[in-house]
Amino acid sequence: MSQRYFEDIAVDDQLPPAEKLPTADMAIDFFGRGNPTNPAFADAEAGRRMGVGGALVPGTMKMAWLTQYVSAWAGPASTVRNIRVAYRRPDIAGKPLVLAGRVVDKREEGGRRIVEIELVTLAGGEPSVRGNAQIEVPART
Amino acid sequence: MSEVEQSLITDEHRAQIGIKSDPIAVTVREADAHRMRDMLDDSDPRYADGTGVAPPYLLAMFGGRGPGGPGARGMQSILPGGLLTQQEWRFLRPFRIGEELTAITQVVDIRERLGGRYGYSVLVTSETDYFGTEGEQVAAVMSTITQFDPTGAVQE
Repeated sequence: MSQRYFEDIAVDDQLPPAEKLPTADMAIDFFGRGNPTNPAFADAEAGRRMGVGGALVPGTMKMAWLTQYVSAWAGPASTVRNIRVAYRRPDIAGKPLVLAGRVVDKREEGGRRIVEIELVTLAGGEPSVRGNAQIEVPART
Repeated sequence: MSEVEQSLITDEHRAQIGIKSDPIAVTVREADAHRMRDMLDDSDPRYADGTGVAPPYLLAMFGGRGPGGPGARGMQSILPGGLLTQQEWRFLRPFRIGEELTAITQVVDIRERLGGRYGYSVLVTSETDYFGTEGEQVAAVMSTITQFDPTGAVQE
């Protein structure tokens, strides 16, 4: 896990894409077996009754993936300050997701060096989640 | 496609906006942090066992599982289906393993929408603020749940 520094980051930098394969088991493990969750996370039929076509991938699990994705890219001396997403279409367990990101802004505000990243998850090449994250990163000097 | 000829949002629903829940205690648990880290294959040394720090995405464990988040009350579902459609997490400081946070939730907006994937739908936005033992704000979650009638939704 390497560290990125404010001076070395440029607008339009691309984050390396990361592929995830969500499963219904993973959704249950994410919240912990025995903890209450939406039945549609584990049961494809319950998902279909909701009109989502199968076992639903929890939105908060995708949010956690994205948080970890940008945090890992920025490095251990960086801090995710804010992440905001719109879930544009439901994701179904068993279908791979590709996480991707691009730097859209960098600025100093209140003594902090902030990098803003536009995020997307792609399912079958189509965006299922769009969002952005603000990360505080260190300077080299 | 179900037909809704008038708004299902009543004055009683609107009256819930801005009413804060009773404070709810949530604990930052080592077991949750460990399990989620393993599941996400997160090797960040800041959150390794023994550091006493939990990864930020632990917020998923105690933020907004129901319509309105932990402690929200009085807001009954208007339509039978519900999906999380927007979310924001804000982090003001790291979570410490073992600490007990206080969560306070309020509904901040209710609106309706006609058309699209869900047909007639009701969007309920809530905010949950998390405070540490000194009263300092630690994190915040804003969530929008889109409520809909599954019989009117467009199947994937």
